[in-house]
Parts: sequence; structure tokens; C-alpha cells
Amino acid sequence: MALRNTTRRWGAIAQTFHWVIVALIIVQVTLAEKADDLPNGMRKLKLLAQHKSVGITILMLVILRLGWRALNPHPPLPDNLKPYERKLAHFTHAALYTLLFALPLSGWMMSSARGFPVSWFGFFQLPDLVPKSRPLYDALVTTHHTLAWTLIGVVALHVAGALKHHFVHKDDVLRRMLPFTRH
Amino acid sequence: MRYPKLCQALAATLLAGGALDCGHAAAPPAAAPAAPAAVASHYALDPARSSLEFTFLQAGAKNTGRFPRFAVTLDCSGADPAGGRLEVTVEVAALDTGDKDRDDTLRSDDLFAAAKFPQAHFLATRIVKTAGGYEAEGALTIRGVTRETKVPFTFREATEGGAAVGYLTGKALVRRLDFGVGQGEWKATDQAGNEVTVSFALRLTRAAH
Repeated sequence: MALRNTTRRWGAIAQTFHWVIVALIIVQVTLAEKADDLPNGMRKLKLLAQHKSVGITILMLVILRLGWRALNPHPPLPDNLKPYERKLAHFTHAALYTLLFALPLSGWMMSSARGFPVSWFGFFQLPDLVPKSRPLYDALVTTHHTLAWTLIGVVALHVAGALKHHFVHKDDVLRRMLPFTRH
Repeated sequence: MRYPKLCQALAATLLAGGALDCGHAAAPPAAAPAAPAAVASHYALDPARSSLEFTFLQAGAKNTGRFPRFAVTLDCSGADPAGGRLEVTVEVAALDTGDKDRDDTLRSDDLFAAAKFPQAHFLATRIVKTAGGYEAEGALTIRGVTRETKVPFTFREATEGGAAVGYLTGKALVRRLDFGVGQGEWKATDQAGNEVTVSFALRLTRAAH
């Protein structure tokens, strides 16, 4: 499989970015859900520290991924899509990229506003994005949670679209993002 | 001043004062003691212009806190802490890291256990002059555990508004686990670092003796 994209298929690098970020999103949601259930204490701190580090990892990967996308051709949407389907596809992809920036950034801001600087897996400390402020923290908690639910919704739309292409339209849209499928 | 005790003894004997400079205004003749006692200085804390802070790592990131309620006394000869006695008492429950949830957790039984051990205490009966200033050596008690600890500091005396004051600053590294601050799950140091840097900047006022 080629590293770079072609006009017919996503390359190995683009696929890796895609599926690694998928896996990390699943990890993120799991960590957040588990932490939410816990009272303040060591276990909650640990889960949140991991959540923050994974979040920053996703942010870094998304930046690299967008850079890679800009330097590559990308497989276009199939010709036979209706205008609304085309618009919906573009919207979902744009929304996903936007959310994948907004979520870690709002989380990072949230931590800064709370007065708990973020550390990436204990290796280095990130600067505070905003000054310490409880009202700002409270507002960012709501923002971060709302964005998270929005992401889940958009992901659901994205998955539904991929499955529709594969099973209903029977085109190669899903296949070209899957490793190990013959093309 | 190389021989503080000798100096004081001679100054006291000479009565008039001013014949030997012990680094401070000489005792007025009327107050000359009959016994060869040292010219004792007793310094007490000016809380409004003093700070006792600590920095620690939380999940690998640097955080700070302070102890807003504490008392300090320094008893020495003249204005030289060497050979003197330094005592610090800290109201642990008043700790403030700027976050109520974190402060409540720090006060809890597995960490400071502030309800059971409301005070931390440092009593240095040995203060020596060092290249960088001074070093106080004594018993540091936190959460009921006492350990011999050395605390380096600098001391500068001044006269402000006619009153003698002393500025005492320094920092010490304390390992919280050495004092049992961290039981059960809090023995782990990945979320709450073991090493805590305690820094102090104190303004002490000298009581008339």
C-alpha cells in the first residue's frame, strides 16, 4: 500500500492518522466517563491526567494530519452523489476537524482556568492558555461537554455515511480508507 | 562577627556600650545586666509582610500553595542568628492552594490529616553560619512525624522607622512521604510529587529587650 494518497485511495499515512485518532477518541470518551463517576481522589486525578495527555496527543495528530492532507491529493467523493449528500459529506468532515481542534483546546483552557496546568504524560508542562478564573472554568466545563456530545453526534453521522456508501451505494468510499482491502 | 558570645560578654562588662560593635545598636547603659548574659534578641513574625509558600508537581505540572497562618520566633545574640534558636509553628488546616477541592483533599486523613495534626512545627536549636548565609538544623514535625532537617536561609537586619527588623528568606526541600503525608493511594507520587519546595520570606520585628 502506498504511503501517500492517490486520487483513488487514501495512503497508509492518511489511514494511520484516521484510525489512530478514532482509537484515541474512544479512549478519551472512556476515560472521561470513568472519571466523571469518581469522587475527588487519586483515581480521578489519574484518569483526568491521562485524558488531558491523550487530548493533547489528538490535537498534535490533527495538526499533523491537516498538514499532510494539504500536501497530498485526496480521493474525491463519487460522481453520483446528490447535491445534498455532497454538502452533508463536506459539512461532516469540516465539523469533525473543527471539533477535533475545539475539544482539546477547550479542555486545555478549562485546565488553565481551574489553575491546574496541563502536563503531557509527565514529560513536559504546557503553558496556561487563559488566566485562572472560576467563572471561566465553569463556562468551559459546559463548552467542553457540549462539544463532546456534538462530536459523538457528528461521528455517528460520519459512520452512518460510510456504511451507507458501502452497503447501499456499494461504492469504494469506505474501502479506500480501510487498510488491507484490495483496490 | 566571629565570637558573638565573647563580644556580648565584653560589651556587657564595659557597660557604656559602643566600645565593641556587635552589629547592632549597643545596649543603653541603664539596661546593662549584672550577670554576663548575652544581649539577647527576640524576633517575632510580622505576618502581614511574610510568606510561607510551597511548590509541588501535580500530574507532572508545577503548582503552588501557601500557608497563610504561621508564627515564627527567632532568639539569638544581637543581630546574628548564628547560635540562636528558631521556632516555626504552622496552622496546617489553613493551607491554600487556590482550589477548594484540592485543599479539602490535602487536609484529609490520607494526606495532612489536619484534624488530627493541626500544626506543623520546626524547632532549630542549632544555627550556624555558612558560605551562603546560615543554616538552621533542628526537628521538623509534620503529621506527627519528626525528622532532623537542615534549612538554609539568609538573614539581613535593618532599621525601619526606628525599629529593628530582620529579613529571613530561604527554601528547603521536603519529601512529603518522609512525614507520612500520603497514605494509602496517596503513597503514589505520579499525581502528587514527593518533593515539595518550601520557600519562606519573613519579616521579623525585634522586641525591645
